[in-house]
Amino acid sequence: GRRACGGGCRAQLRGVSWSWHRGGRVRAKHKEVCLHKDSPLGETILECYNCGCRNVFLLGFISAKSENVVVLLCREPCLNVNALKDMNWDLSQWCPLIDDRCFLSWLVKASSFYQIPSEQEQLRARQISAQQINKVEELWKTNPDAALEDLEKPGVDDEPQPVVLKYEDAYQYQNVFAPLIKLEADYDKMMKESQSKDNVTVRWDIGLNKKRVAYFVFPKEDNELRLVPGDELRLRYPGDSAHPTWQSVGHVIKLTAQEEVALELRASQGVPTELNVGFSVDFVWKSTSFDRMQGAMKTFAVDETSVSGYIYHHLLGHEVEHQIIRNTLPRRFGAPGLPELNASQVLAVKSVLQKPVSLIQGPPGTGKTVTSAAIVYHMAKQGQGQVLVCAPSNVAVDQLAEKISSTGLKVVRLCAKSREAVSSPVEHLTLHYQVRHLDTSDKSELHKLQQLKDEQGELSSSDEKKYKALKRATEREILQSADVICCTCVGAGDPRLSNFRFRQVLIDESTQSTEPECLIPLVLGVKQVVLVGDHCQLGPVIMCKKAARAGLAQSLFERLVILGVKPFRLQVQYRMHPCLSEFPSNCFYEGTLQNGVTVNERQSSGIDFPWPVPNRPMFFYVQMGQEEISASGTSYLNRTEAANVEKIVTTFLRSGVVPSQIGVITPYEGQRAYIVNYMSRNGSLRQQLYKEIEVASVDSFQGREKDYIILSCVRSNEHQGIGFLNDPRRLNVALTRARYGIVILGNPKVLSKQPLWNSLLTHYKEHECLVEGPLNNLKQSMVQFQKPKKIYN
Amino acid sequence: GVEIRQKVVQIDPKEQEDFDRELKALLQESLESRKSEARSRLTLNMMVPMNVLEGSKDPRAIESESGEETVDEEGGNVRVKVLMKKGHKQQTKQMLIPADSSLVQSTKQQEAAELEE
Ligand SMILES: [Zn+2]
Ligand SMILES: [Zn+2]
Ligand SMILES: [Zn+2]
Repeated sequence: GRRACGGGCRAQLRGVSWSWHRGGRVRAKHKEVCLHKDSPLGETILECYNCGCRNVFLLGFISAKSENVVVLLCREPCLNVNALKDMNWDLSQWCPLIDDRCFLSWLVKASSFYQIPSEQEQLRARQISAQQINKVEELWKTNPDAALEDLEKPGVDDEPQPVVLKYEDAYQYQNVFAPLIKLEADYDKMMKESQSKDNVTVRWDIGLNKKRVAYFVFPKEDNELRLVPGDELRLRYPGDSAHPTWQSVGHVIKLTAQEEVALELRASQGVPTELNVGFSVDFVWKSTSFDRMQGAMKTFAVDETSVSGYIYHHLLGHEVEHQIIRNTLPRRFGAPGLPELNASQVLAVKSVLQKPVSLIQGPPGTGKTVTSAAIVYHMAKQGQGQVLVCAPSNVAVDQLAEKISSTGLKVVRLCAKSREAVSSPVEHLTLHYQVRHLDTSDKSELHKLQQLKDEQGELSSSDEKKYKALKRATEREILQSADVICCTCVGAGDPRLSNFRFRQVLIDESTQSTEPECLIPLVLGVKQVVLVGDHCQLGPVIMCKKAARAGLAQSLFERLVILGVKPFRLQVQYRMHPCLSEFPSNCFYEGTLQNGVTVNERQSSGIDFPWPVPNRPMFFYVQMGQEEISASGTSYLNRTEAANVEKIVTTFLRSGVVPSQIGVITPYEGQRAYIVNYMSRNGSLRQQLYKEIEVASVDSFQGREKDYIILSCVRSNEHQGIGFLNDPRRLNVALTRARYGIVILGNPKVLSKQPLWNSLLTHYKEHECLVEGPLNNLKQSMVQFQKPKKIYN
Repeated sequence: GVEIRQKVVQIDPKEQEDFDRELKALLQESLESRKSEARSRLTLNMMVPMNVLEGSKDPRAIESESGEETVDEEGGNVRVKVLMKKGHKQQTKQMLIPADSSLVQSTKQQEAAELEE
């Protein structure tokens, strides 16, 4: 919930009450409500008088037995506390805040935004479409005072100019993408800055670098915001009679398994470590990544040397004459320290080395990291200068850096300054580590100053100046001596690389980045570019619906494919049991996926699990329980499926599978949170076992794998449809995470309406793997499928 | 008193049903999320400060918005003091609520019942 009165609260309350009046849907994104300053109680966050709970669905008034005094009290647990009964309060007359589908009118009445609608207004209100409500709610995100009338104002409801396939020049390109990036940035800012949390309990620690670290739980509701290491947060103490107000900014350095955040504070003095409760936490939004995208587009437009002429026209979709790079090809295409390449991998490396622009499609488990590393190895050996290697995510960059380094090349992993305290599996390759550990005598001055800084926390201003200059020089020296520099796409815009030129660039996971993000590493002088990815899996995450609708979610890789660039596809998969790869191969890769693993190599020997068909470790478990909207009002959950997920997990654990082998995935955050909760409360084995099991959203599991995957589909309704599950790319990701076995829980009656799911269900049925009944007595299900609605193209 | 529910009518019964189901789910989910909170651990901090009960006029003790006069009913409204916390400090705010609101009604019935006893 947003704390300060910026009007955002108004929007929230309006969001609640509005939906109420519509009688349509519950779209209460925030359970917390702040009254407007003109309301009878003034600007007030509604909360339980006793425990501070702010969930409006739980709050109600009680009055004192004798006086005209009332308080807000939550229904659970406070209303049920026995001791209260002996006090002066009349508990039997508890009166909920939300009554008969409405917010208590007298509480919100008289504020400027919430007027009891007149007859006329209500007539109008009834004619509002669900689409209009969505639009107004979207407007509230940037303009809390927006009203329905604002939808009609010129400009407000205008959709931005959509992306196209071909662009006249880089200025047109910039004119299309710059507003989309702006939209996404504004949305991101709005969302993150509204994530303040109060009443946070903190415990204190000191890091190895002597910096203060605050540990606290930042409740992970099923909202869109996920903290990641490197994020900046502000920790505040509002002050009381004995303690002054205090605040400090810090970086998240890790997230513990217990969902605890470790925040390394910038402040070293005056930290109120004697206090533990009553802190507040805000998200500090940074525009860096968006600024770098805008900057890259500008460079692309104004600087002719930013990319080669050939690539310039190629990226804009112009006709260009076919070009071959004349290099002497290596005799063998593998690289030292890497596994032997298979035929399609060798071909990929060979073709890439001869082309200025190439796309490599790596379906799940086909070894695209090894292939990428081999390509980079040969590029570096061509002596055209340093190679730049990027990916949108830090995890992918780390993996790639490690693989490339194992070929013997000199690799430097450049991390954002905010992530220097975040531990990394390739720490020895990071620039900040190498700066600290460079062992030459002429660096002794820097080491001395570093030591002093570590011990004292700060340096005198002249020493600080000297320290910074020495550090910068050392950084440059290390970067210059590298064969390969690895960083995220956004990291390629780091000022420390601004004087570097890279003729050869490889971008992994490029189908998960937006075009402007992809452009950042390219505008440093690229002549040869390799984009690796898979456009049959999920693309970049765009939060702003308007920007997504306009095409920001389409990657450069995808656009080039549509323009006719044929991606080179890796064809041998080494992850899935052959019976698990069959459907994805046929459905998403025209049946071209071959198995590099045998049935024997994926045999779950010694595991006693009730697979309905022996040697076929898969089944679709028919579920008929209804879906529900989650507490946040923005996601879904399904209790029946959650209960059965727990049973399946328990059966796996009993049969000898260890927690780290199991992954539970679901498309919905609401269900993810519910399953975690459900397992920890209802699991019949040791608590710790369930805690160790990873429960994740399908989207966040892209690029990962587990031996056993349990997929909970959630959606089960008469008329609403299947939402997220409609995206074939999400289904592809979900089906291709398991190495040894998969269990899918879902409602075939609902899912079969969608053609792709219909064929998946048919596939499972044909193999006698569509089952129902108790886990220890699974029977083939005779459930009727529905006719699929539209032909999926 | 203003009655919303009498005016907002003509809603598609199917929509209404869906809405009720979703609302119920929301309430249930909210309730369940709190049930785990151990009641035993919960400290009660529900004493009504004496000065509120006595109608103390000491502004340092409680921040009362204005209105010295606490007329019980004015124009179909009842004036109540809403007891709130600001940090650790207790404060009251006065507000008018419709005499026919369920909160007032239920309290009155209760009082009447007690008188009869
Ligand atoms: Zn909120
Ligand atoms: Zn406000
Ligand atoms: Zn409470």
